[in-house]
Amino acid sequence: MGESTHFHRRASGYLFLLPYVVLFVLFLALPLAYGLGLSLFRWELVSPAPARFIGAGNYREALGDPYFWKALWATFRFVLLQVPITIVFALFTAVALDAVSARRQAFYRAACFLPGMISISVAGIVWRWFFNNEFGLFNAWLGAVGVKVPWISDPRLAMKSLAMMTLWWSFGGPTVIFLAGLKEIPRQLHDAAAIDGAGPVQRFRYITLPLLRPVFLFVVVMSTIGGFQMFGQAFMITRGGPEFSTRVLVQYIYETAFTHYRMGYGAAMSWMLFVVIAVFSLVQFRLIRERRRHEI
Amino acid sequence: MNPRPQPLGRAGAKAACTIACGPIILVCVLGFLFGGCGVGTSDRGPIRFWNGFTGPDGRTMLRLVKRFNCSNTGPRVLMQRMDWGTYYNKLMVAGIGGRAPDVFVVHVDVLQRFMRTSFVRPMDDLFTKANGLDPADFDPNVRRAVTRHGRPYGVPLDVHILGMYYNVRLFRDAGIVDAAGRPRPPTNREEFLAAARRLTRDTDGDGRIDQWGFVFTWFRTNVYAVMAQFGGKFFSADGRRCLIAGPQNVAALQFCADLIHKYRVAPSPQNFDSWIGFRQGRVGMAFEGVYMLGSLEKQTDLDYAGAPLPVLGGEPASWAGSHVLCLRADLRGERLKTAWRLVRFLSDNSLDWAAGGQIPVRRSLRNTARFRSMRVQAQFARQLPNIRYGPAVPFIFEFYSEFDTAVDKALRGTASPAQALREAAERIDRIIEREQALAEQAPAGRSQ
Repeated sequence: MGESTHFHRRASGYLFLLPYVVLFVLFLALPLAYGLGLSLFRWELVSPAPARFIGAGNYREALGDPYFWKALWATFRFVLLQVPITIVFALFTAVALDAVSARRQAFYRAACFLPGMISISVAGIVWRWFFNNEFGLFNAWLGAVGVKVPWISDPRLAMKSLAMMTLWWSFGGPTVIFLAGLKEIPRQLHDAAAIDGAGPVQRFRYITLPLLRPVFLFVVVMSTIGGFQMFGQAFMITRGGPEFSTRVLVQYIYETAFTHYRMGYGAAMSWMLFVVIAVFSLVQFRLIRERRRHEI
Repeated sequence: MNPRPQPLGRAGAKAACTIACGPIILVCVLGFLFGGCGVGTSDRGPIRFWNGFTGPDGRTMLRLVKRFNCSNTGPRVLMQRMDWGTYYNKLMVAGIGGRAPDVFVVHVDVLQRFMRTSFVRPMDDLFTKANGLDPADFDPNVRRAVTRHGRPYGVPLDVHILGMYYNVRLFRDAGIVDAAGRPRPPTNREEFLAAARRLTRDTDGDGRIDQWGFVFTWFRTNVYAVMAQFGGKFFSADGRRCLIAGPQNVAALQFCADLIHKYRVAPSPQNFDSWIGFRQGRVGMAFEGVYMLGSLEKQTDLDYAGAPLPVLGGEPASWAGSHVLCLRADLRGERLKTAWRLVRFLSDNSLDWAAGGQIPVRRSLRNTARFRSMRVQAQFARQLPNIRYGPAVPFIFEFYSEFDTAVDKALRGTASPAQALREAAERIDRIIEREQALAEQAPAGRSQ
């Protein structure tokens, strides 16, 4: 291979990468670095006081801020409620879809994916009405059997209601990914197991689940990250209430930075959330990989 | 085995270069074109007018701006509407970044926050009788709210007062009528409680109340008005201490909680959406802003009327807000003249604006036959001498956040009014301390 051709190949490879690198640096790396710098300053947009370097002051403030802990706990509660339910529901839906004919599958797949196509603002407004205590659709139905549920007006129930709404809104994506994963599993394995006398549950347990593990890992990590970044549902449906029970960390960060204009403090909490998400993602990768190695 | 990738060659490299550079060039061009929009003082282009009127009020405002543009000889006015939920964030960031619109609307209780920035123009030289807007035509309490250190920072366009809407049919059915058979809205606490009790009913006999005497619509405005009626104060005169946990406020909040838990004439808290209950004809009385009138006027199957809030405490008072027209600080020459003409035009025509569910802030306009024929607005306007705007503090959104939480807890019964307000006061005091520390760090001459 000539020198010139080799150079062209390498150069064209880098050139293909360039648009993404430029956009990545401009819109992700630089803002991230800027945010990190900002988190070390006390800077309040509307204050006449100039930005002042305070080192870890914003981080210390967050650690002593009860609202920060409450918002972080609300975020954890949402992730713990929503992620397992979504994954289990999406997995079983995908398995069910995998069993129907290709034509019907296309229809059901589109139907599952459809809610996720609706913007969170629209979905949020619609569900806020569904959840309304006195005049909402759900309580109108339940009223027929004499039951009335304070879906979003009871602090103990509000987060569960948001998780329910999120399940409806977001399970389509994981379902389609699981379905694609299921298609990759060779049919012969199931056939051979069936000949050996394995029932559907055994085949699911010993063939489907192990071979779906890479897809599973991807879906778990992405759903967890999505869960930690939840904002739209809480903002549109409950505004973080009642009594801050659904004010998740992203909403608190948003309010701190863009309503109270405390930019440095907002940036510090963003970085703390980033660390939490990174730690969770690493732990998930490690757990699922460890188990695979152990099983091999 | 994967086939070995083939080298691209010169033609391929050129194609790659084009594909790679295309988006970058596009980003640069777009950045050049749009990044500079409105940056710094622009002496060209249309007058940019920002507001948060995204509902039917936005269409009314757009019609007014179009009328202004038809008669205007200066630069054209371009109106941009955005949702109030994100409006202030955008306005503040634009202003701080030197891209403030030429004319913009802010609520009167948020004005304090904007007056601290350097992009709002004081209007003492413009807002004069000689310039076509007589300050004496505005009520003193309204004028005071837009004034800082003796200088007005905006022209109030309207006043939206909290009033009482009531269902005429339900009042008649419950026999709450005068000698002539006309519905008789309550004017004091005893009448209010009596009416609420008579209106709260289980209409279908299933053992559950399905018609309520009263609903809390927006906790913030509803409770704020009741606290004002009980004589409650929110801050000390020097602004260094939060008085929200004072005995009057505690008593007012207790009364509100009692409407739900003791008297059982209001349903469990549900915030904004309870308004739909009123519109469905299942609620007798609701305290709401005059701006909700637009939604009622379209409804043909609801017989409603408006009245001033009953006096539930010791003195008449009601919550109110105002939209205030502000100008960008560095406007000069023809642009300043056009922007001021727009402000005057909107103020002069604020009766048209009021028809959509507002009250004109100018006395001369309220004294017209046309305004007096606006049945709900005219009733609500009777409260004007006793209106209370939100507290004039620069950390208004943080105050509201704490206030809303305290009220929420008390109305739900998860904390006593005294405890909820005490906790809120402690947190607001910490915000005040933080603000004071920042003010002390401000350079001399910029201390706010």
